[in-house]
Amino acid sequence: MVRLACLAVPLFPLAARLRAEPELAREAVAVVEGQGPAARVMAATRPARRAGVRAGSTLAQARATLPGLAARGRDSEAERAAAEALLDVAGRFSPRVEDALPGLVFLEADGLGRRFPGSDGERDLGRALARAAREAGLPARVGVASSRLAARLAAEGAAREGEPEIVAAGREAEFLARLPLARLSPEVALGETLTRWGIATVGDLARLPAAEVASRLGAAGAALHAVARGLDPRPLAPRQPPPDFREGSDLEWPLATLEPFLFLARAALDRLCRRLEAEGLGCARLGLSLALEPDGHDERSIALPAATTDARTLVRLVHLELETRPPGAAVSGFAFTAAPDRPRAAQLSLFGPPELSPELLATTLARLFALLGPDRSGAPRASDGHRPERFELEPFAPPPPPKFELAAPRPRGLLAVRALRPALELEVLLDDGGAPRGVRPLVTEAGAKRPAVSGEVAVASGPWRLEEGWWSQGPMTRDYWDVELTGAGLWRIFRDAASGRWFADGSYD
Amino acid sequence: MAEPLARALLSRLEAPLAGRLRTARELVAATRPSEPATWGAAMPELAALLPGGLPRGVLTELAGRLSSGRMGFVLALLAAATSAGENAALVDLGDGLDPQRAAAGGVALERLLWARPRDLSEALAAAEAVVGGGFPLVVVELGLPPVPGGRGRDAQWLRLARAARAAGTVLLVSSPSRRCGVAAGVALALERARPRWSGAPAGPRLLDGVEARLVGGTRPGARAGGRCGAAGAPVALRLAAS
Repeated sequence: MVRLACLAVPLFPLAARLRAEPELAREAVAVVEGQGPAARVMAATRPARRAGVRAGSTLAQARATLPGLAARGRDSEAERAAAEALLDVAGRFSPRVEDALPGLVFLEADGLGRRFPGSDGERDLGRALARAAREAGLPARVGVASSRLAARLAAEGAAREGEPEIVAAGREAEFLARLPLARLSPEVALGETLTRWGIATVGDLARLPAAEVASRLGAAGAALHAVARGLDPRPLAPRQPPPDFREGSDLEWPLATLEPFLFLARAALDRLCRRLEAEGLGCARLGLSLALEPDGHDERSIALPAATTDARTLVRLVHLELETRPPGAAVSGFAFTAAPDRPRAAQLSLFGPPELSPELLATTLARLFALLGPDRSGAPRASDGHRPERFELEPFAPPPPPKFELAAPRPRGLLAVRALRPALELEVLLDDGGAPRGVRPLVTEAGAKRPAVSGEVAVASGPWRLEEGWWSQGPMTRDYWDVELTGAGLWRIFRDAASGRWFADGSYD
Repeated sequence: MAEPLARALLSRLEAPLAGRLRTARELVAATRPSEPATWGAAMPELAALLPGGLPRGVLTELAGRLSSGRMGFVLALLAAATSAGENAALVDLGDGLDPQRAAAGGVALERLLWARPRDLSEALAAAEAVVGGGFPLVVVELGLPPVPGGRGRDAQWLRLARAARAAGTVLLVSSPSRRCGVAAGVALALERARPRWSGAPAGPRLLDGVEARLVGGTRPGARAGGRCGAAGAPVALRLAAS
C-alpha cells in the first residue's frame, strides 16, 4: 500500500489571513463570513479564543463576549495564495501531490527513504514538512498513513504543530476504529440506515462482512466500508503545477495613494520571491492585477531582463510602473503573478577567469532595469549601416569565460569618438573655400545641459561625404568635417545636404 | 607541516600544472583585493605608471579635459579586460559610447554591460549595483562637461569606493575634472593633450590622432594597497585616429 502524508492547516481562512498580515496574530481578531447581522465567526485568533469567542457565533454575540474584537472578512486572494504555497511546500518533497481542499494536501511518501532514512524516517519527513510549511507562513499539522482518511485524521489529531502523527502501515483500521461514524461523512440515507443497525463507530462498520454490506447497501456502502477498513477508494490524483506563481490580497478598504499600497505589495512580493526561491526559480515577468473601485480592473505586465528573486527590485519596478501610469481609481484588491524561469546555471572554471554568478547577475540586471528604465542597459551591438550614431542594445548574456586565462593582447590604442546623442545643431561660419571657420551652438534647448561646441576653427579637415539609403524614402547625405577648435577640443561636425543645417555628432577623445 | 607536504607534492607535478596550483596561503595572498588585475599589464602606458595595472578594490580616478584621449584610454582598458575573457561594465553618463568604434578598438561587446544613466545620481546608483554584481572591471564615464547632476557628494564617492573594496572590483571613474576627492585611491590625469595632423598647414589636412601625458599615482594616505603604491614618471599616451 502506498504511504501518504497529509498536510492540514487548521482554521485555514484565518491562517491565510495571518500569513498575509502576520501582525494580526497577537491581536483578538475574528474572520467572519456574511454581512451585517448574518455575519458569523469562522475562526478567531488565540487571544480571541481565550476570551471566549467561538466559531459559529454571530459577530454580535462575539462582540458581546469581547467588545474589542476586530473583524475581518474572508480574503479569497490570500486564501488562494496560501493554498498554492502549501502545495508548493508539498511539491518540494514529492512530485505526486493531491490538492484535496484549500489548506489540505496529500503527498506520496513512498520513495523518500533515501532522504529520510531509518525507522524514524516518516517522523523526520513529517517534521520537515511541518517546518517547511511554517517557513511558508502556514501552521500545518502532519499525519502519515496508508489511506487518505487515516492520514487526514492523523494530521487533524496531531498533538502539536511540529510533531507529526504516524499511523503504522496496516494499522489504519485500528486507528480509525474508535472514531464516531460521522467522521466518514456518509450520505444521509446511508448514515440513517447504519444508525438503525446500531453502528456507532467506524470500527463497528469495519467489523461487518464486506460482501454482506455490499449486497445490502450497494456500491456506496461498499466504498464506505472500504474506507472504514483503512482502504482508499481511489488512488492519489496528482495535480499539475500551475504555470505561474500568484500572491495577492483583497483589501479591507480601498487605497487611493501609492505608499500604503507599496507597503502591502512589498509583503506580497516578499512571499512570492520566497516561494520562487524555494523552487529554484526566478521571476522573469511580473503581472500585476488590480481590482479598482467600484467594479474596475487593471492588468499590467512588467518584463524583466533576467529572472530574479530580489523582492526589493520587484517593489521598485511596481513603484515605477504605478508612478508612471497610476490606476484610474482606488485599489480594492491586488494580485501579483510571477512567470517563473530557471536562472542560468554556471560552470566554474579552475583556470579561467571567474564567471559572474548567474543569480547575482540577474539581480543586477533587474536593478539596473528598475533604476534606469527599459532600453537603458544591456550589451551594445554594432548594427549595419553607415550612420555613426546607430547602435543596438541586446540583453546582457555574456558567453562563458575561456577555460584558461587568456593573455590580453595589446589594445590598438585607437582614438575614440565620443558620440553626442542627439546631435547638437550648430551655426557655422565658412571661409571662401567653403571650409568651417568658426562654430557655435545654434540653439540651446531649455534646461538641457549640452557640451559647449564653440570657438574658432584652428584646423579643419574634410569634407567626407556619407550617403545612405539613397534608394529609400528617407535618404541621408552628410558632408563630414573634423575640426580643431582653438582651446575647445576636436569635434566631428557635418552638414546635412537635404536641409543645409550643421550638426556636431561626436567629439574625438 | 601541511605546507612542506603540499610543496613536495607540487614539485612532482608536471611543470605547467604545478605553476598553476598554489597553496592555500598563496591563494589567499593572490586574491587580496588590492592586487592588480592581470590584464592591466596589457596597456604598456598604464603598466609603466602603475606596475601591474589598475589595482583591484580601489577607486581609480582618471581626469582629462576635452579631447585628451580619456575615452580612448577607457576603451583600451575595456578591450584589454574583455579580450582576456573578463566581463566589464561601463556606466556611461554622457551616453557617448560608439559601439562600432569600440569594437574596432578591440572591445568584445558581448562581454560589456552598457548602462546609460541620465544624471550623476543615477550613474552612482547604477555603478554601485554593477560593483555589487561582481563585475571585475567597472568604468564610470562621466562624459563631457557640464556633467548632469553636478559633482556628487563626498559621501557618495566614499560609499562607491567602499563597495569596490568589498567586491574587489577594478573601479575607474573617468571624469572631465577631479571630483572623487579622498575616495580615489589612485588618481590619474591626462595632461597637455594635443592633436596630431598630417599635411601642410596650407594644404589638405588629416587627423592622425592625439598625444597626451598620463600622470599620477597613489594618493598620499589613500588606502591603495599592494604593489600599486608608487607612482611612476609621466608616460606619453598616443592614440591613433585609425
